[in-house]
Amino acid sequence: MPASDSGYVDYPEILGLPPDFKPADVRRNYRKKIKDLLAEITGQIMTEDRRNQYLLQIAQINAAFYILRDKDLAERYLADREEVMALEEAWQRAAGDAEAADGGRRRFDQALRHFLSTYLEEMMLQAGRDPECVENSGWDAAHERHASSVLRHYRQRLYHQIHERLPYYDVTRPEVDWTERASFVRGVLRGGNA
Amino acid sequence: MARKPAPKPPVTDNDILQALAFAIATGDIVNFRFLFVPYSPLRDDSTEDLRTDKYSYLLPPDENDPDYREALKAAQAPGLLAHVRAQLAKNGPPQLPWEPLLKLADNAVRLEKFAAAAQAYELLRIRRRMQEEFLAQADAALAAGDTPAGVRGYRTAVGLDYDYAAFPEPLPAVPRHQVTALILHGEYPRTPEEAVAVQPPERHADTALNYLLQNVEIAGCLSALPLDAKTAFLEEWIRQTDPDWDAFAESYRAACALAREQGERLERAKTDAPPQSLAEEVAELAAEDNNPRRISARLASRSALDLEWWQYLKDMAYAHPASALFVARQAVSHDTEIIMPRYRADSQLARRLGLAAE
Repeated sequence: MPASDSGYVDYPEILGLPPDFKPADVRRNYRKKIKDLLAEITGQIMTEDRRNQYLLQIAQINAAFYILRDKDLAERYLADREEVMALEEAWQRAAGDAEAADGGRRRFDQALRHFLSTYLEEMMLQAGRDPECVENSGWDAAHERHASSVLRHYRQRLYHQIHERLPYYDVTRPEVDWTERASFVRGVLRGGNA
Repeated sequence: MARKPAPKPPVTDNDILQALAFAIATGDIVNFRFLFVPYSPLRDDSTEDLRTDKYSYLLPPDENDPDYREALKAAQAPGLLAHVRAQLAKNGPPQLPWEPLLKLADNAVRLEKFAAAAQAYELLRIRRRMQEEFLAQADAALAAGDTPAGVRGYRTAVGLDYDYAAFPEPLPAVPRHQVTALILHGEYPRTPEEAVAVQPPERHADTALNYLLQNVEIAGCLSALPLDAKTAFLEEWIRQTDPDWDAFAESYRAACALAREQGERLERAKTDAPPQSLAEEVAELAAEDNNPRRISARLASRSALDLEWWQYLKDMAYAHPASALFVARQAVSHDTEIIMPRYRADSQLARRLGLAAE
């Protein structure tokens, strides 16, 4: 699976940075990305969905800049991201062994929740208060108020996306027969029992 | 000194099977999960006793009920009891067996306990695919002209929706028309034509779909239908989800009569001689027959005449969600607003729902 599809947000990729990026690359790419996005938004008729989507995109670009321009923060983010991905892999490998899997799952779940709440919610909101981000993106208190629910939704969606590919632990692995499912649905639609 | 309580009798296989089967038959995900918690009365190491009155709700009141008998057969599947016993003896998070969980979810769908079904399908990680299956078959039914089946499919798909922004954990999405009705009427119509209730039929139908289904994505699947089909869909949806609609329609027609009466009184007031004294004027204003809020109160089936327009609207939308589509805000004095019945004279939907007087 490509890292960008894994559900663990990849900030260098969001800013289009090479693996060995320099702080100057971060600033240059950030300004270009945010300018392009704001230009795109200006030409759009705003709907509720579109507004949420743009709010999320601005928050992502701001967070990417806020984290990656600071060497220590960037290193911490990259290390946390690698750790949570390694823990997922370890748990996937241990899935056959009930006891090891249980411990692995707890460690992974803790690391995942920490990663998502820190880098996908907390840092995104912090970035919105950063003077440089405010200046470039026009982010204000009204955006922050609305963004908190959008970001919570985004974090839960990613958690769910990651969770769906993991081994079953709270339920035994279902063997779903989709032909039988289709016939059950038909029965419900007819108004009787399947 | 307090006497040590007598140890509880051991939990039998029959106890486990009965409790499992009853939860499956009733589509009760809360009770099903409760059977596996660390203090579950089904655990031998728990002090809770299944045979006490406190837990009678976990056991079937009628063992001959056909749904219960069917669920009992499912609970007796080979290997299931051993798995359940192992989970009940285990220290740590239990692993629920998938087969009874799937049966439970299906029963919950049949009983229209959609939140329970959504939770069970979500645990099995098939919720979204089940939603898609319901939508696909509902679309096929609508294309074949079977509106009741199509509506049932859409209702189930919407019922299986999940709210991932819920705090602190994602939860099944539940209807909240008492809130969305206020949003629908959030802005006072600057001209009477701006009111939701008198939008052109095509636009009114789209507004109604978005408002009633409460899911823009799913409502969007119906936006390409012709107006007649949308109207038939909406009528069927309202009748399936609101069994008391006819009683509301009766109140609505009565509110229309009150509104007409009020209008006539205002017209008369223009030509009649004004009250002779202040006391007469005050008495006239205080007369219950004169209070325009009685129109809103009739719509919401409330007796109180001192509520704000939004309180009546909230009550009405909670009991009859679709009612919010056929009312409008109306200022009757500088500080009083009411909700009034309103619909377009050419509205097929209002006619089919029995709102328009014959």
